[in-house]
Amino acid sequence: MTDHPLRLLLDFDACVQRDKGQAPAFLHRRDRKFALSCEQQGIPPTPERWLAHINHLSGPGAGAGPASHTLRVWRRINRGFMVAGMLLGVLTMLGLLFYDGGQRINVTIIIAFVALQLLLALLTTAQSLAGWQPWRPLLRRFGNNRESGLLPRLQPVLTAKAAQLGGLCFALSGLATMLLMVVLQDLAFGWSTTLETDATRYHSLVTAIAAPWAWLWPAAVPDFALVEATRFFRASPRDAGMSPARWGDWWPFIAMLWTIWILVPRAVLTLVATLLIHRKARQLLASHPGMRALMYRMETPALDTGNAYNDASDLPDTETQLDLQPLPDASILLCWAGAGDPELPDALSSGKSLIARAGGRMPLAQDRQTLEQAASELSQATDRSVLLLTRSWEPPTGELEDFLATAKNLWPKGSKIALVPLAAQPDRKPDTHQVQQWLRFARRTWPDFVTVSLMPVHETLPDVDRGVME
Amino acid sequence: MNTAPVFAVVGHPNKGKSSVVATLSQNDAIAIALEPGTTRKRQSYPLSVDGKTLYTLVDTPGFQRPRRVLEWLEAHSVSASDHNDTVRAFVQQHQGDGRFTDECELLAPLLDGAGIIYVVDGSVPYSAEHEAEMTILRWTGQPSLALINSIGPDDHSETWQAALGQFFQVVRKFDAVRAPFEQHLSLLRAFGQLEPDWEQALDQATHFLSEQRKQRRALAAGMIARALKDMMSFQAKRTLTLEQVSGTSDHTLADELRQRWYQYQRQREQALRIEIEHLYQHQHIRRQEAELEWHSDHDLFSEDTRKHWAVSKRYLATAGFGAGAVSGAGLDALTLGSSLGAGALVGGLIGAAGSYLYGDRFTLPALNIGLVRDGLKTATFGPVQDSQFGYVVLGRAVDHWWHINHRNHAGRGLLDLEPADHHWLERLDKKSRQTIQRTLDKCRKQQPLDASQTHKFNDAIELCLSVYDDWRLNRT
Repeated sequence: MTDHPLRLLLDFDACVQRDKGQAPAFLHRRDRKFALSCEQQGIPPTPERWLAHINHLSGPGAGAGPASHTLRVWRRINRGFMVAGMLLGVLTMLGLLFYDGGQRINVTIIIAFVALQLLLALLTTAQSLAGWQPWRPLLRRFGNNRESGLLPRLQPVLTAKAAQLGGLCFALSGLATMLLMVVLQDLAFGWSTTLETDATRYHSLVTAIAAPWAWLWPAAVPDFALVEATRFFRASPRDAGMSPARWGDWWPFIAMLWTIWILVPRAVLTLVATLLIHRKARQLLASHPGMRALMYRMETPALDTGNAYNDASDLPDTETQLDLQPLPDASILLCWAGAGDPELPDALSSGKSLIARAGGRMPLAQDRQTLEQAASELSQATDRSVLLLTRSWEPPTGELEDFLATAKNLWPKGSKIALVPLAAQPDRKPDTHQVQQWLRFARRTWPDFVTVSLMPVHETLPDVDRGVME
Repeated sequence: MNTAPVFAVVGHPNKGKSSVVATLSQNDAIAIALEPGTTRKRQSYPLSVDGKTLYTLVDTPGFQRPRRVLEWLEAHSVSASDHNDTVRAFVQQHQGDGRFTDECELLAPLLDGAGIIYVVDGSVPYSAEHEAEMTILRWTGQPSLALINSIGPDDHSETWQAALGQFFQVVRKFDAVRAPFEQHLSLLRAFGQLEPDWEQALDQATHFLSEQRKQRRALAAGMIARALKDMMSFQAKRTLTLEQVSGTSDHTLADELRQRWYQYQRQREQALRIEIEHLYQHQHIRRQEAELEWHSDHDLFSEDTRKHWAVSKRYLATAGFGAGAVSGAGLDALTLGSSLGAGALVGGLIGAAGSYLYGDRFTLPALNIGLVRDGLKTATFGPVQDSQFGYVVLGRAVDHWWHINHRNHAGRGLLDLEPADHHWLERLDKKSRQTIQRTLDKCRKQQPLDASQTHKFNDAIELCLSVYDDWRLNRT
């Protein structure tokens, strides 16, 4: 589990970006399931737990994605600032304490430098709070341009921390350099200024500056005598009337000045920058659009409408090439399942020796009787064709198949039966797709015994797709 | 009774049983064909909430030999009290008998307590020939409802209604392909009323389905908003080395970038289409739509596309006024109100004038071929500077959403997205218009959007969906 708010935010964002391609239904199921399992365990489904759950399911190595990359980049930036700060600290202190035995080291310059450092440290924090990013183009240029929506908003606080860390290292290395110089060299401090001031006012200034450590290390607060004794003028004769032993007495003040007014503020502001990162990360996580969506998914029941089953490709073959046959000149006409009701078309009923009904509401015994009657007629006829009228819109069923099977067995050899599907309105031709199902039925059962024909309607024959009229 | 109700959808072959199930279970992967025997065995489609089944629909094959079954039943029954047992005995005896596979498949769930949903085709004339089937169903003694589905264009539902009323407790008309969503819910509630114990489960189910519908609308709005942002801010970029620069003319480079830009826009739009379809559980839609096209070097879209989906200049001016007023209000804030709101007014007027004059053309050249720097030359095309682009993409996306939102899962026809010829967006409230305009402008300038702006933009797009829905439904 990650407890660092920044890592949590970045991991969460990476996870949300990764989920973008996922089906909403899947995400809902996944997150709702997690929320329900948390509820069962009596623990709140927090983002930390959610991430841990997702990463746990992905196995070892999960979560080492863009978040780790971003953190790595920023760790590198921090290290860069720290190294640069350290080097600069050493160089700056060497510069400030440069003493060739001639001119003395001016304490006023050191105080001014410390004030500048303090101002810069405060400005860095203020800038991060205001969100001003004058260095953004620079970051972009150095390969950190894969900015998601989050990074630009995190950059002010992240860069502030890097800068404060650099400043902290600067202060540390500066202090260390100074202490080393004090040990190794005989440094001569003094104070000087162009302004018209006297030792009393200067003493008040240094006493005010030294106030924070006066109780801790009184020796680090220069006394009036020291201040008075160490003033020097560029034009005055060198070291006139002054004990050289006192020149070095300034060093405790300088050390404490550096520690209290540079090192400590930098340390505090580094801590503040870290806290600001945490606060910003928490704010961004709370207002992350992905968080709102996640909460919704966890709170709303997941609905599955039963759409897992898929047999769309398992369709019956409806592409087979099938032929209609011409209507045979038959003397027997059978009407299947109410076909021809209420009135048979004249074109079909005239000149028939037997017209009978079967299927539908007729009892099965009646079907058998009709078949036997037809068999006896067929045995005496020369043309052994039978017409079976059907309703084109009612699909052929097993019952019709049974009827035809019995007919095939009962009727004399060479008998044929032509299925004649009728449209709902007798003067219209049946729809193509309806005729096709009868053609396929004939092909499926006994193609040498069962054929399909249409009743001529107004001398025109239907144009059946893939059916060839003969 | 704690078990979830089961409803077996039964009937004569080829009357749309699978279509009814496909629509109610939102499954467009159920085989549907105008061919008897497409459904060969029963299949369950449970509706579950958090894994708990609220009801189950069972799709069954159609009756093949009802008269023979009825004859068997009548021969083995002594009185009305043994009807259910006799049906059970029939199924028991004929398991594995190839002739009665379909009957056993459709009767088995009824014997396990399923409610009967008997489906007929109301577009063909009523036929008393189906009475054997209805009698068998009555013998099972289960609560029953008849559904008059319409497969063809004719309407014989009145006669069907009268006849079915004699056999079934409830008779409802339901066009599986065209029925609006409210009718789905109403039908499910009717299922619940067949048995007092079922009512609560079906009420819950309809509640969750309604909620899911609302959620899908919000998610669809989010998807459209994301696509709009991506498309508005996209920039095609190519960096050439000195060698490549010498071999490529600016004209060829411009052409290549433009092509790349359009390719991205089309792919992103297609990805959005698929996202929306999958959101509504449509996995197998065949779609026909005019592609995004451009007219000339200076215009991103053909006049035809522009005419269909773009907004009017008047619309742009009002949306632009709002966007400008906001920046003007910033001036008021800076002067601590001493400008007495003049900043907002001036900003608004500038925004309105800018949108009116430049809203439908490039305000900046979309193509930018840079100078050679550090031995490299960078050329870019986009982001689009024509704010109409966003409205064209939005119009097309909302129209597609509308068709998907109203499409039932039984529908297998081609989804033909014809362009609309009306500026429907003008019905949108002023605030949403301004939000959209502002967001499109921000995307165009490749400025990041914060969470609150994203949220507002999503809300405005969701409102667009409602407005378009109203406009389409009240159009005719």
